[in-house]
Amino acid sequence: MGASAMRALAFLCMMAAFTQSSAVLAAELRFIGCPVYRDTDSGKKSGCWLADDPMTGARYDISLSPTKPDWNFAILVEAAPAGVREDGTDIAPCGGIVLNPVRVSVLDQPCTRAMLPAEGYPGRAFLLPPRNVRPLYAPHDPVPQPYQARRFVIPFDFGRDFIIYQLADYYIDKAVNYALDIKAREVEITGYAATAPALVSGQSIVESENLARMRAERARNWMLMRGVPEDRIILKWRGTGETLPDEAMDGIASASLRRVEILIKP
Amino acid sequence: MTFPLIKWPVAAAGLLVASLALAGGGGKSAPNLWWKPGEGRTFPALLEYPNDHGVLRIELEGGAIDTRDHPFFRPLGWNGRACVTCHQPADGMSLSLPSIRRQWESVGVRDPLFAAYDGSNCPSLPQDKRSSHSLLLDHGLIRIARPWPPKDFAGTPVTPDFTIEVVRDPSGCNLDAGWGLTSADPHISVFRRPRPVANFKYIEAMGFAYDPKEGMPLRVDPETGKPVSGNLMADGRALSLTGQMREAGDTHLQMLRRLDAEEIRRILDFEARIYVAQQQDRTGGPLDAAGAEGGPHKLAISPAGRLGSQGVPVWSEFEAWEKLEAVVPGDAARTAWRQSVARGARIFRDRTFLITDSAGINSQIGFGNPVRNACAFCHNMSQMGMDVAPGQVDLGTTNQPFADPAPHLPLFRITCLGKPNRHYGRTILTSDPGYALTTGRCADVGRITLQTLRGLAARAPYFSNGSAKDLRGIIDYYDRRYNIHYTEQEKQDLVNLLSAL
Repeated sequence: MGASAMRALAFLCMMAAFTQSSAVLAAELRFIGCPVYRDTDSGKKSGCWLADDPMTGARYDISLSPTKPDWNFAILVEAAPAGVREDGTDIAPCGGIVLNPVRVSVLDQPCTRAMLPAEGYPGRAFLLPPRNVRPLYAPHDPVPQPYQARRFVIPFDFGRDFIIYQLADYYIDKAVNYALDIKAREVEITGYAATAPALVSGQSIVESENLARMRAERARNWMLMRGVPEDRIILKWRGTGETLPDEAMDGIASASLRRVEILIKP
Repeated sequence: MTFPLIKWPVAAAGLLVASLALAGGGGKSAPNLWWKPGEGRTFPALLEYPNDHGVLRIELEGGAIDTRDHPFFRPLGWNGRACVTCHQPADGMSLSLPSIRRQWESVGVRDPLFAAYDGSNCPSLPQDKRSSHSLLLDHGLIRIARPWPPKDFAGTPVTPDFTIEVVRDPSGCNLDAGWGLTSADPHISVFRRPRPVANFKYIEAMGFAYDPKEGMPLRVDPETGKPVSGNLMADGRALSLTGQMREAGDTHLQMLRRLDAEEIRRILDFEARIYVAQQQDRTGGPLDAAGAEGGPHKLAISPAGRLGSQGVPVWSEFEAWEKLEAVVPGDAARTAWRQSVARGARIFRDRTFLITDSAGINSQIGFGNPVRNACAFCHNMSQMGMDVAPGQVDLGTTNQPFADPAPHLPLFRITCLGKPNRHYGRTILTSDPGYALTTGRCADVGRITLQTLRGLAARAPYFSNGSAKDLRGIIDYYDRRYNIHYTEQEKQDLVNLLSAL
């Protein structure tokens, strides 16, 4: 069987599984599974990440997540219904139903590493994501006056307080720069964690309230290390709050439970 | 800009070493390759030294300095060493194995280079024996004694999240009653290559305000309150050049006092002005010919800290040699060498491979494990090939099972007390925990700050532990570690590129 025939068969199988999972797609897609790396080569960072939803058997292409998997560990995959490409037209790059936007969180559960050959799939040529921190030598636009209070939302991966590269760093950089530019009178930082247990792929997952504090403290440390005076910063944290529709969350409600909000007042 | 030129006549391949004995511009005798502490030479604005690959050039921006009484060049401590002892101009401001051996053969243990404190395998060993200096003489390694428990960048004790045991101790220093881990002043002895004192505009440059590997802003120097690049020293234990020189004064120079403000100012001034790069190749000729931009002058005049992928591509200095201009009529060898260097630059940037289980790349930052990329993924700074972000990465050069066999080095067993290391698990065998000796974090075991890539031809061996004896050894290590399967031609192209830097 040629590569194209194999790809067509794989496509049909995946679409069949996808059709069976249509009930899931009415709501947010969340599952835990072991990642599979497909070694495509369209240049740097062009390898594909795939994961199967254990409840439906559907194979998803999760390569567009800001955080990529580690093939030694299980992942939590989250996508909004709008992030699932129902027509399957984007299946070609990697051999899975494309999730975009999608969030991947690396969990501590071990997985057996798995790698597939390219099998004719091209992967995707790397494109610099639009949410990237600009270098210090790049021009910096001044904030127009009059200054206003602004709220910034910083997303986090499940179970982590790490600032997500080319996502969270983009937003926290904006917040820090705004606080510095307007010489903020007050910076209120509130950390949140998903402290209500949730059942995902048959597993109960929950974050500790301490993580809300750690996230808030990390945001505060960013402010301090960039030069925001400590006496301007108010620190708060709490467990599960309301979900928050914000551009930083890409419409993924469950991800919005894991956030820091930074309210900056002139 | 014009320079008072002190330049050894280097006419052609094969004459390089001979040129050492010849007269310089004014007909004077060429000075010894070795800069002896306190000898009081003038450090010229332009200085060249031959090496196995060609000629290294050192450019001192702003003109010559008189090294008499200069704190970089005169002995400051009781062991008779100066900074220049381990940062020799002929060795690209680092220290090469041939230079070390030459000093042993010509001066012997009386040369301050072989000071008992760190120029021997352990101060408690009989110093008159060659075997007591074998790590320096055979591998180019200086003893680095790190406190245990670790101390951070500010010298504050850190509670580590791992324990450390000595598995093997060929130097004897880690189990030594006076110098070892169980001594009254517990230290861990690791053995490292001296890093070059040059091109600091690039090493100190901050391209971004953040360290994406840490998910944090750049670290702040407690002394100045200002952020720093985080690219100094193998284990990042000093945040600034001032901090580095103070530490070196206390340890390598065995000073009985602290450097004063004027000494620090003069050393910083020298370090800010010195640029080093290979200038000429035995086969390829001048590295700035036919449109190429090799040599240190390009470093001196270019902005630092720029990301090659968004600006001037890394090693595009040799892009002109991809074109017909590189062809030297009647000299097929020179033409081929230039084309090889140009190909090497492309391979460095574009030849991808799977990078796996390397902390600082595959964790914690979410690039993925594995991630497909090329050398320039980390060696990403235009003109310099350093990491624009702080570059602490675990290549596996010191951690088993990736490290090459090194029976001459100590071996430690690290046991993680909290979360296991993402790539090694709870227990790690390492000859040098690297960055973890500064942070106290099990996740950082084996992470070593990226090396600078300029002047490589003058300063073998390579990697922090000297495990690559030559440039080919570097390429072969990467090829093994990441299963790259470079072709023989690709390997040679990369070697030629590295020799041209």
